[in-house]
Amino acid sequence: MTIKLDGKARRQGVPLIDGIDKVTGRARYTADLEHADALVGRILRSPVSHGEIVRLDVSKALALEGVRAVITGDDCPHTYGVLPIAMNEYPLARGRVRYRGEPVAAVAATDLETAEKALGLIELEVRALPAYYTSEDARADGAVLLHENKPGNIEREVHHGFGDVDRGFSEADLVREATITCAEVNHAQIEPHACLADFDPLTGRLTVQSVSQVGYYLHLMLARCLEIDASRIRVVKPFVGGGFGARVEVLNFEIITALLARVAPGKVRMHLTREENFLTHRARPQTDMRLKLGMRRDGRITACELHVVQRGGAYAGYGIVTLLYAGALLQGLYDIPAIKYDGYRVYANLPPCGAMRGHGGVNTRHAFECLLDRMARELLLDPFAVRRANLLHAPTRTLNDLMVNSYGLAECLDKVEAASNWHNRIGKLPRGKGLGMACSHYVSGAAKPIHWTGEPHAVVNVRLDFDGGVTALTGAADIGQGSSTMVAIAVAETLGVSLDRVRVIAGDSAVTPKDNGAYSSRITFMVGNAAIDAARRLRTILCEAAAQKLEVPPEDVDCIGEAFHVGGGGQSSIAFCDVAKAALVNRGPITVTGTFTCPPEAQGGKHRGGAVGSTMGFSYAAQVVEVTVDEATGLVTVDKVWAALDCGHAINPLAVEGQIEGSVWMGMGQALSEETTYADGLPLHASLLEYRVPTAAESPPIEVHIVESNDPNGPFGAKEASEGALAGFPPALVNAVANAIGIDLNALPVTPDRVVEALVERRRGLRLAAARRAAS
Amino acid sequence: MTALLPQFRLAHPRSVSDAIATSQENAGSRFIAGGTDLIVNARHGLGKSSLLIDLSGIRELAEIRASDHGIRIGSMVSIAALTRDAATSQNYRAVKEAAEAIAGPGHRLMGTVGGNLCLDTRCIYYNQSEWWRRANGFCLKHGGDTCHVAPQGRRCHAAFAGDLAPAFLALRAEVEIAGASGCRRIPVGDLYVEDGSAHLTLAPDELIVAVVLPPNPPPSSYAKVRVRGAIDFPLAGVAVALAAANGVIQSLNIGLTGTNSRPFLLAGTDAIAGRPVDEKVLQQLDRLVQKQVQPMRTTIASAHYRRLAAAALACRLVASLSAAKEA
Repeated sequence: MTIKLDGKARRQGVPLIDGIDKVTGRARYTADLEHADALVGRILRSPVSHGEIVRLDVSKALALEGVRAVITGDDCPHTYGVLPIAMNEYPLARGRVRYRGEPVAAVAATDLETAEKALGLIELEVRALPAYYTSEDARADGAVLLHENKPGNIEREVHHGFGDVDRGFSEADLVREATITCAEVNHAQIEPHACLADFDPLTGRLTVQSVSQVGYYLHLMLARCLEIDASRIRVVKPFVGGGFGARVEVLNFEIITALLARVAPGKVRMHLTREENFLTHRARPQTDMRLKLGMRRDGRITACELHVVQRGGAYAGYGIVTLLYAGALLQGLYDIPAIKYDGYRVYANLPPCGAMRGHGGVNTRHAFECLLDRMARELLLDPFAVRRANLLHAPTRTLNDLMVNSYGLAECLDKVEAASNWHNRIGKLPRGKGLGMACSHYVSGAAKPIHWTGEPHAVVNVRLDFDGGVTALTGAADIGQGSSTMVAIAVAETLGVSLDRVRVIAGDSAVTPKDNGAYSSRITFMVGNAAIDAARRLRTILCEAAAQKLEVPPEDVDCIGEAFHVGGGGQSSIAFCDVAKAALVNRGPITVTGTFTCPPEAQGGKHRGGAVGSTMGFSYAAQVVEVTVDEATGLVTVDKVWAALDCGHAINPLAVEGQIEGSVWMGMGQALSEETTYADGLPLHASLLEYRVPTAAESPPIEVHIVESNDPNGPFGAKEASEGALAGFPPALVNAVANAIGIDLNALPVTPDRVVEALVERRRGLRLAAARRAAS
Repeated sequence: MTALLPQFRLAHPRSVSDAIATSQENAGSRFIAGGTDLIVNARHGLGKSSLLIDLSGIRELAEIRASDHGIRIGSMVSIAALTRDAATSQNYRAVKEAAEAIAGPGHRLMGTVGGNLCLDTRCIYYNQSEWWRRANGFCLKHGGDTCHVAPQGRRCHAAFAGDLAPAFLALRAEVEIAGASGCRRIPVGDLYVEDGSAHLTLAPDELIVAVVLPPNPPPSSYAKVRVRGAIDFPLAGVAVALAAANGVIQSLNIGLTGTNSRPFLLAGTDAIAGRPVDEKVLQQLDRLVQKQVQPMRTTIASAHYRRLAAAALACRLVASLSAAKEA
């Protein structure tokens, strides 16, 4: 298939360059890789929530025929983790277990049955300790500490204040508070976790292929935990079937697979069950929020005070970052003169939480947009008018020193307001039908990398060889979001060649330059800029070669449509391949390196934790959700969604549209049906039957509007497009339910039982009020 | 990865008598139809069996026959085929609606009528992996001696969640059962008892051959509540068959599922016969359902919700059937 980036493709976008491989089934995901000679790895998991390991005897398992390796915490004395300041977890528990499902030992055997049998022969004795499943219990006086150095079972407290909050509230015409809670959710990516590790005892080299979004971090952690020189390790990312943050930190099973491969020694494959995926978790924490807002009669927000408690699970993971995001992302969307934030990340005896699409900001945004709506109603203001009363004006810096260089929120509001016919319909719908709206935003990459090396934040190499093919080499992990296609377009557009001349090779540490990974929506902004930089460098070389042949100065030459022209195309021209050959004569095969680095002024405020939330540019979104509420059964049906996203510039509108739909849909899952539930630390939800990701039956029509504010620093003006539209959905839905039945729900998800409970509660309240009136 | 499937042998009988003979010769064997319930449970180490007797090769079980005596639906008719059957769809609407509401398209292709009637009961403490149940000390239904839903009680409260049974109940269907001593025919309700760990009255070597729906059925309808519009089992499912003349109820049968360890026919609807469908009757019906359903905490959704929803569905279906009649 030839894809030409003509005007039409630029307007509508192009299919993902790996799309055909995926839809035809040719794409090889980790579990599909050749593993005919691989041993099967399995993990023994703790059956208790909290306790001291008294005895762990693997001798019977080791003696079983067909077992090639059995490992325990003794085999790895090193902690691992994504944040250098908070690595408090071992790949296999050492001395103590802190949640049901925590890996305790692992086996590599010739087949699955033998591996399962061996797990059954491992003798584990644990002396139980008190276990805590709620933030409240874990923080109670006298609670046993999960980690000795963390008093009160609090991993981190954050107390941030910007502006004069007291003055803000005193200047308000209306001050209201809301207590809102969001259930824990999981990524539920369709591809289950898998890893294939190959250790060659003769050379001491380790090759790991895994589902990771962060191959570079995996590389570092393998070197650390296995004490192998990083130069002897190769990490390859095959096709990945969904990330959403599930694989944005190194996961225990990846290190365990590599440990098994070394002990065996040989090749080990590890495929986790769906239950094990849920036990591995690392997703959005259960969050309790108390939010207070001050508002003037005209809708202007005067102050904001938020108290957040996140139940983080048993280990640190990304926790500190999640907690900081929850506060930092109060800013950057609206102009708020005073903000106070108090956040607490609490340890509990549950699978560790981590990053998930819209990291840290989603639950905070939910509480904020819900309360904003309620206050608007009380002041008889239109929800759109309230948002418009608080817009930022770019360029600006927020109170916490975040840069806002482009800001398309006003246009997003206009688009969804008009498309949904809001003003002609709001307040005129029959009972049980409702409209709700909300706004949201997200960073285009964390401007300060977690692992500070001083290196550029993104690097792309571009090669040109005798065949005339242009090959872009990137470490950026395409996890389905289309990042490799974005790189191809960036290179093709910059060079002036057709898209199918460009090949992208991604995610192989032996070949591709290091990349920090697919997280915080950083790839389009950072890797996109690096790709443009690399392509420009190549273009300069090619223009020089063309200029030599055409006997004109290089600055008079340009490449358009696969040919180099003088003076805009009217005069002489040479085909791309001929110019490539000429360039190669001068210097042989060409490799150029393009880089991108966020400047220091983009890297956040000087306050502690100020780097989190910092970014080169925010995406902005507004959406309207229309619902029908069945008051008898409590079922909420989403009839239609109108979503507008300012992504700066849509490099590939087709992919942007898909990402917006995906964000809306994932937000819908959290809003309507997704939640984890535990019985004394055992997950009741650990299947795709009980963890209710929406099905096609619930999927509403989503009308997408792309807004382009042209960010001055983005590649072609682009910003992120994959996360920003998520956080608006849950509050828009809850606001729509309030519009439909007059009840403000304070808990997510809005499951039918919660709706019916709220209706029963209201009827009870009305009856009591009537009885009181009758009595008085 | 899906969990390991235990070792088993598979028998392929070509006739009902062969199937029963194979069953009698092999204690501990089990019949398998579509496998959408059995295989999933087997992977969790539930209902293990060394021999599975596959009924898919018995052609006579996969037929639907309409006659003056009603409709006879073979137990191996797939749910998908049932949804497409014109005679059933036209006259036995509750059956069609129930079939269409089962799980997802893939399940409906594989799942069968007999299999849906013989679904194992379900509970959040039971439908979990071996590792999970072991960590929880197992349960009364499998391997343990405590029901975690009602630890003080002496019985298992796992809930039946098949969609077809309530429709067959409301339409007064019967099941034909084949066994070593020949065939017997019983009302659908007699197939079940209120015990989550032994809810079927079938002997180990008996199998359902067919469901027989009587002719000239009254108008009927089925509805279920679930969190998602597909895949999910009913939190509560209700089938109503209502015969009315001049706005007055002549007969009313209501089958319920999802709330108890067995599907059951609502008792006491006779008292409503002879009255018009009005607010008062619906209130009475609401109370009747709420009183008779016994949902326990076997699902993540609350038991209270399932009680209220069952009653709400029953009233809604009765109201809509009576309205349709008038129209």
